[in-house]
Amino acid sequence: MKLTIDGKTVSAREGETILDCALRHDISIPHLCTHSALPPFGACRLCLVEIEGMRGYPTSCTTPAEDGMVVRTDTEALGGLRRNILSLIMLEHPSACLVCAKRELCDQYRPEAEKAGRTTGCHTCNNKEICDVRVMAEEFGLSELPVPPIYHERPVERSNPFIDRDLNLCILCGRCVRICRHHQEMTAIDFIGRGSKTRIGEAFGRSPYEAGCQFCGACVDVCPTGSLCDRYAKWRGRPERRTATTCLFCNAACALELQSSGGELIGAKAVDETTPICVLGRFAIPEFLYGAGRLRVPVVRADGSLRETQWKEAIEAAAEKLRPYVGSGFALVCDTTSTLQDRYIFRKFAREVMRSENFVEIEPDARGASRVELPPGTKAALLTGDFVDAGQLEPLELLIVQDCYPTPASEHADIVLPVALFPEVDGTLMDVSGRERPLRKACEPPGQARPEWWIVAEIAKAMGAEGFAYDSVATISREVGKSTAELLTERDEAPPAATDVKRRRAYFRGHRIDEKVPGLRELPLDDAPASARRVGVEAESAGGFRIVQKREVAPNIHEIVIEAPGIAKKAQPGQFVIVMVDETSERAPYTLSDWDAEEGTITLVVLEVGHSSRKLTVLREGDRVAHLAGPLGIPAEVDRLGTVVVAGGCYGIGAIIPIARAMREAGNRVIGIVEARSHYLHYFGQKLEAICDELIQTAIDGSMPTKGHAADVIGEKLRAGEKVDRVVVIGCPFMMMLVARETQPFRVKTLAALNSIMLDGTGMCGACRVSVGGKTKFACVDGPFFDAHLIDWDELFTRRRAYAAHEVRAVGRTESVALHACEAHGAGAAR
Amino acid sequence: MANAKRRNVSEVEQIVGRYGGERSSLIPILQDLQESFGYLSEDAVDDLARRIGVSPNEIFGVATFYAQFRFRPPGEHTVRVCLGTACHVRGGHQILEEVERRLDTKAGGTSADRKFDLERVACVGCCALAPVVVVDGKVHAGMTPRKVSPLLSRYGKREESKDA
Repeated sequence: MKLTIDGKTVSAREGETILDCALRHDISIPHLCTHSALPPFGACRLCLVEIEGMRGYPTSCTTPAEDGMVVRTDTEALGGLRRNILSLIMLEHPSACLVCAKRELCDQYRPEAEKAGRTTGCHTCNNKEICDVRVMAEEFGLSELPVPPIYHERPVERSNPFIDRDLNLCILCGRCVRICRHHQEMTAIDFIGRGSKTRIGEAFGRSPYEAGCQFCGACVDVCPTGSLCDRYAKWRGRPERRTATTCLFCNAACALELQSSGGELIGAKAVDETTPICVLGRFAIPEFLYGAGRLRVPVVRADGSLRETQWKEAIEAAAEKLRPYVGSGFALVCDTTSTLQDRYIFRKFAREVMRSENFVEIEPDARGASRVELPPGTKAALLTGDFVDAGQLEPLELLIVQDCYPTPASEHADIVLPVALFPEVDGTLMDVSGRERPLRKACEPPGQARPEWWIVAEIAKAMGAEGFAYDSVATISREVGKSTAELLTERDEAPPAATDVKRRRAYFRGHRIDEKVPGLRELPLDDAPASARRVGVEAESAGGFRIVQKREVAPNIHEIVIEAPGIAKKAQPGQFVIVMVDETSERAPYTLSDWDAEEGTITLVVLEVGHSSRKLTVLREGDRVAHLAGPLGIPAEVDRLGTVVVAGGCYGIGAIIPIARAMREAGNRVIGIVEARSHYLHYFGQKLEAICDELIQTAIDGSMPTKGHAADVIGEKLRAGEKVDRVVVIGCPFMMMLVARETQPFRVKTLAALNSIMLDGTGMCGACRVSVGGKTKFACVDGPFFDAHLIDWDELFTRRRAYAAHEVRAVGRTESVALHACEAHGAGAAR
Repeated sequence: MANAKRRNVSEVEQIVGRYGGERSSLIPILQDLQESFGYLSEDAVDDLARRIGVSPNEIFGVATFYAQFRFRPPGEHTVRVCLGTACHVRGGHQILEEVERRLDTKAGGTSADRKFDLERVACVGCCALAPVVVVDGKVHAGMTPRKVSPLLSRYGKREESKDA
């Protein structure tokens, strides 16, 4: 079958669509809703083509290729149609960053996405680096939107313990619905409602678990936007490494792609997108690896207590203590979640070194539990997990445990050795049908944890045994090759793998998986009562400072009024406070947006953009923040200067108000210039209108009468010869830097408020160090206002990123805390 | 309650049986269910889902596409406020607002005491009488916001006893 696409004669396969045929021949046709794992759908309409003899513009993803067809994919008419279609898609997808004129500069200064609560543009989107919509918009060179975008103001849904759903980004391509329908007998989601109210959801507002979700995560993997995301991996960006390996949680041994960055595991997904994997493989692995209490250092009991030590000493101690039991009373217990190589070494060690036939290998049951009784007469045991009841351990003369987490056995042991878990090691394992599957190392083990074979081989060598000089898994494999059959035949018939979330495995080597993976506790097993253990929300203390009022004035921007009479009495324009939400919180600075000495309250405008601000913004009226220090910083210098421009962006729109007011009262003509990505991110318009002689609200995406950044407006005014005597700017460093660049050539004195990372706020710690005119200044005591033309912006950006990696880890934790806090308040999960 | 549930189940079975349990008959089945129970309850949808092998989510997705299906028990009386062209220009919106205020529910909702369903309609075909409110099929002509309260009390709406 031959057809012509764009003048090129190509051969098509039987039943192939025009799109598939074109892509196979390297002819690109834009497409969004189509996905390689899914049947054709024809929803996004981007893949329109012209076909000779056919009316209209058929979608190439649904039209089968036919012999003799003449197809054109790249005509002017098609280009226009596609642009219009994409523009319409962008209208309901926060798109300001895509049409922003300063996109490249922004990416250069702020490569990582901001960890906002709700995504309002690529710059606050966790999916920034892998977004199909973004790629498409860039390909089309879309530089403006025909009409203002619509933001649906939907809350981020967090009733799924592993997936965040932000429907404000959803383009309704239906990939998630379709993959769910494909993977699961009973789809867990569907399109709900109709027309502009259509959304993805569950029947009757049920939680995903109630609605039958199996948590295979396929919907996240196929989502072309940031609407659906794996909460754990959310802000970790594109993984540096992808490793094809095998899941070891059960003997279904699903093929997994493990994703890691900087040696740390960040996520997992099915290698084969057409077959679902279970919740454990998809979502549980990183948290299971990095759960609290993971054993990292070898420990040896000395004088009754356990003492951390080095491998050399631990191995020597083990060898010495084991020696008396050679040929008498030694047992080694493992289960089949150890690799074939590990188990081979265990067996060889037990037989050849310890001369014991008591090599016990347990096949976990359907729940993953592995319990066994020690062989009679056991005096010394080496356990590789929590397999034996405590009562049986009591009489032992020697107990060596090599494991990943503490257990009653490890508490009782003479020596505890930390092991690397399956994503951290190479090897092979046997699946349910007896085939050998590869395990490949995808990330680094924590601390000094080592592969199991290595530990036992070292002990063997220390006991003077020959034949344990392995330097890698490969050397063991060569030896195992001969005896694989032996390992195989001794296996009992294995229980079937459970992809059903209610019948998943609950244990791994005797450890309850949900102890390390809190999200699993919200998905009860069918034979266990709902373990309603929830992260406790700390009891409200009477101390601290009470939140009197709180509202989200624009997506991610919260106005918080706090009772703080002492601060309210002393506050002056431009000053800030340092807030600690609870006793162990980060100390974060926030500019005072207003205060009322009579009422004894202060007002903060807080941008929800990371761990600490999230903790603050999930509080409710009546809640308390633990500590509040202020007013801090040198107040803004207010004089009669003539014409003053006050510029604000994000939280700065609120923070600029006291300065605008004071400048006006001092007799200045005040021009307020405030910027936001899009019209729906503006707030306090009326308040500013009342204070400013002239107010210009700009939107970067052109959805307000004035398009562009505040810096653009200031630049235009200056170039037009307008006299400006002072500029005061509050916003993100990027915005302030842009303003500084515009005013510098005109030598208009520009003051920028720097809220760099702070700790004590008294000039002692130096964390808030900034370079201004070549001199080191502390933002907390010398600031917050500095001459914007003298600030070393590049250094400031670098210093702000100092804790980016820690922040990403912390933010995942707050998101679950935030959810629990909401539930504890009886608000239920966001539906 | 248990009785009611059993009744539901047997009726779902009957209705599904009428259509041979075909998933392609989903919409007529839903229509019959609604006629029988007055609305599509969670229990009925779950039961139907089991019988025809379609996920409740999918059924809900289909049902929410159509304005004709409702998911909460209907109120005793149906109040339809007309916002067709004639009623619109003669102040239909103020009347709707007043009804919404009195019943403390938005158009499309049901009052908390389940006495009234409130619907917004676009022309009931008696424009000469605009603005009109239709209660249980009876047209009330020449409505004003002031006439709303007396009208509702005629159908058993108790006067605002907004208990503290």
